[in-house]
Amino acid sequence: MYREHDLSYDFLGIHLENPFILSAAPPTDELDMAIDGLKAGWAGVVLKTTSVESNPVNLKYPMMSSFGTAAHKLWGLGNIDLISQYHIDEICERVTTLKRMFPTKMIAASIMGSQKEDWQSLVWQLKKAGVDLVECSFSCPQGSMGEAPGRMLAQSVEATEKVARWVKEAARDTPVLIKITPQVTDIVEVARALKRAGVDGVTASNSVPALIGVDVETLEPRPSLFGEGAYSGMTGMAIKPLTLRTIAEIARNVDITVSGNGGAYSWSDAVELMAVGASNVQFCTLPMHHGFGTIRDLKSGLADYLDRKGCASPLDIVGKALKNIKGQEELVAPCSHSDIDLDKCIGCGNCFRACSDGAHRAILWDAEKRQPSVDAEKCPGCGQCMQVCPVNAIRMKEELDGKVHYFEFKGTR
Amino acid sequence: MEEFEKTLTRQQAAIEAERCLYCYDAPCQAKCPAHVPVPEFIQSIRSGNLHGARTVLQMSHPFIETCGRICPEEAFCQSVCTRSKIDAPLRIRELHRFVTDSTDPFDRMELPETTLGRVAIVGAGPAGLACARELRVRGFSCDVFEARQMGGVPSQEVSTHRYPREVDEREVRFLTSTFAVHVRTERVTDLKLLVAAYDAVFVATGLSSESDMNIEGTELVGVHHARELLRKMKSGEISGAGNRVGVIGGGNVAIEVASMLREEDPTRDVTVVYRRGIKELKAFKKEIEEATTLGVTYQFLAIPNKVVGNDHVEGLEVTQAHLCGEDESGRCRFEPLPGSSFIIPLDTVVVAIGQRIDESVFPGLARSESGLISVGENMQTSMPGAYAGGDVVHGAQTVVEAVRDGKKAAEQIAAFVAGGK
Repeated sequence: MYREHDLSYDFLGIHLENPFILSAAPPTDELDMAIDGLKAGWAGVVLKTTSVESNPVNLKYPMMSSFGTAAHKLWGLGNIDLISQYHIDEICERVTTLKRMFPTKMIAASIMGSQKEDWQSLVWQLKKAGVDLVECSFSCPQGSMGEAPGRMLAQSVEATEKVARWVKEAARDTPVLIKITPQVTDIVEVARALKRAGVDGVTASNSVPALIGVDVETLEPRPSLFGEGAYSGMTGMAIKPLTLRTIAEIARNVDITVSGNGGAYSWSDAVELMAVGASNVQFCTLPMHHGFGTIRDLKSGLADYLDRKGCASPLDIVGKALKNIKGQEELVAPCSHSDIDLDKCIGCGNCFRACSDGAHRAILWDAEKRQPSVDAEKCPGCGQCMQVCPVNAIRMKEELDGKVHYFEFKGTR
Repeated sequence: MEEFEKTLTRQQAAIEAERCLYCYDAPCQAKCPAHVPVPEFIQSIRSGNLHGARTVLQMSHPFIETCGRICPEEAFCQSVCTRSKIDAPLRIRELHRFVTDSTDPFDRMELPETTLGRVAIVGAGPAGLACARELRVRGFSCDVFEARQMGGVPSQEVSTHRYPREVDEREVRFLTSTFAVHVRTERVTDLKLLVAAYDAVFVATGLSSESDMNIEGTELVGVHHARELLRKMKSGEISGAGNRVGVIGGGNVAIEVASMLREEDPTRDVTVVYRRGIKELKAFKKEIEEATTLGVTYQFLAIPNKVVGNDHVEGLEVTQAHLCGEDESGRCRFEPLPGSSFIIPLDTVVVAIGQRIDESVFPGLARSESGLISVGENMQTSMPGAYAGGDVVHGAQTVVEAVRDGKKAAEQIAAFVAGGK
């Protein structure tokens, strides 16, 4: 009925109907769930990480926890999940089945091993099953399957490079993504090591090691299993800014393909991840929260965006924001101050209080009219007032060489 | 009688609290006659600190259980909520009620010794008890004189579907026990004696008389005063009203008594007979809605001419009115339509056209034009040492306004006593 914007493109030589992939996580841990996801419109799946037989998977339930507020319960989601309990043989069968059912979708699988033989054997078996892409988890925050107990593989640059070489050696022409952790001293070093190892790209990035919470009444951590708990891998909206920085930092410094993952909850989040360098975007928490049907809004939102921006392909946005990202010291210093639109202002006084107690005491308050005004002499334009304004009535007026520019609030959708 | 309104659930309250903008110098707090720090208690709901929320309420307002239920928020806090400029005002009163319903009274009061003086409070309604509490907190001892029932109008005359008896008893008991208010069940006749015996006196006797209708037939059996009927029903007695009741009036008392009569006997017809139209009803919107839900019906634009009947009421003769412009006060005027009289068949007529001061109350005190006790800025009456507040000074008003008077009077009395020593 409507002409649909073509969202398809090639990613590492694999056809993608759109940039939205179900990541290696619970939504892809059952065959029928993967089928439902693909039927709903997701462009591909990365089947949940499998390993070799010798690695036992002792799941502990409840594994999920979260934090948020009454109206926004799920700012951050935590899990103490491990890899899939399914054997590599089962995963290979699924790859074959899915490939047969969905020849135009990307069917990928995630693996994790320890010895060289493990990694390579997993890759060979998947290749034989017809997998489109292999993703390697170097960064599951739970469990201790890396070289050192309690340490993630991707936290060692040396080990990352070595293992990535093993995998790529076995994968040959099958694309390989290495899923890394944002929790390293220098993400660029890790990405460089992967580039040297010759893998095709990085998935940036995995869930963030976190402690989701502590019950203040009982002092039990969250999640709590008979009063005891462990650190979680955190996902969801709370980590998007961390992911953005990770991707941007890799993309600015290393010429390597990035698959974005971590914190995207909407089409515009996905656009953000792509604009800083991701070539596609993986999702997990969103479908775990609102289901596979969310793909419809992701697709129509992105299509509308591309139309508005006059972009033919999603690839047109990849990395487009990078040129605007600079070091703080490189930024120009405009003459800036707060500019309040009194027609929009509802007189709540939040800007006045925030400026008075948390900034430069540069906003004055007319108690009679319940109206703020800016002391332009005192206001350096820090922008805190526009963060707290509930109706976005404040913007920053920036002047440089006689030219005026307005910086408006864009924190919420 | 089951309460109409249910307490918000914890989740509802938490979500509603998240809507609060925490305005600087919040208009809701300024608009509240008792100056309840609204954003502060809502902040505490949001953080899950219900005990803290209760403390905030209790420190600012002695009648928090009462006002959490019956305060007309449409007239106060919620009418100025900044949030309504975005979508809709916060449900402030319901959040308030959520706090009081979810917590026990905070009774770890550290009260000072009662060394500052002794004050007599005449009338144990909201104004009197608010004053007593404030004075006790400051270090005064208070004797409260009450001829009727503790708690005043809300305890005696507000229907149980809005204000259950146990809630009211809990509140009054808490106030009197925690603040060691000494209650003396006696009628005060000579104010001079009290002024001589105490350091100061606060008169808050309310309006104990009801206005009569100046029409024929009000002496018939079956004609009642509204508040008298309310007190009877609230105390558990049977009203004695018949099956076809007409309530004359359009204010809160009229709506309240009509509701309560329907509650008492849901098979009985209760019609509010009012001279003006639906928009001119003076009662608060929420109470009108509740009355309508209870099945109260209305005869608008009807001017009562006379109550008809032999010994008993048989009907009310009314003339149809039409509205025509406004008077100087902006109130809608009405005129009778000649030849339009008809009789509403009734067996009971309830008069709810207003209340006034009992003329016999303290005749020595100067009165205002409207016959109420006249006070100065500092709430002092014409008799030095005697202060007054509440309905007896301002005419019928809300609980929270009476509380404001009580608090203000306490401040003035404290200054007066300190100055005299």
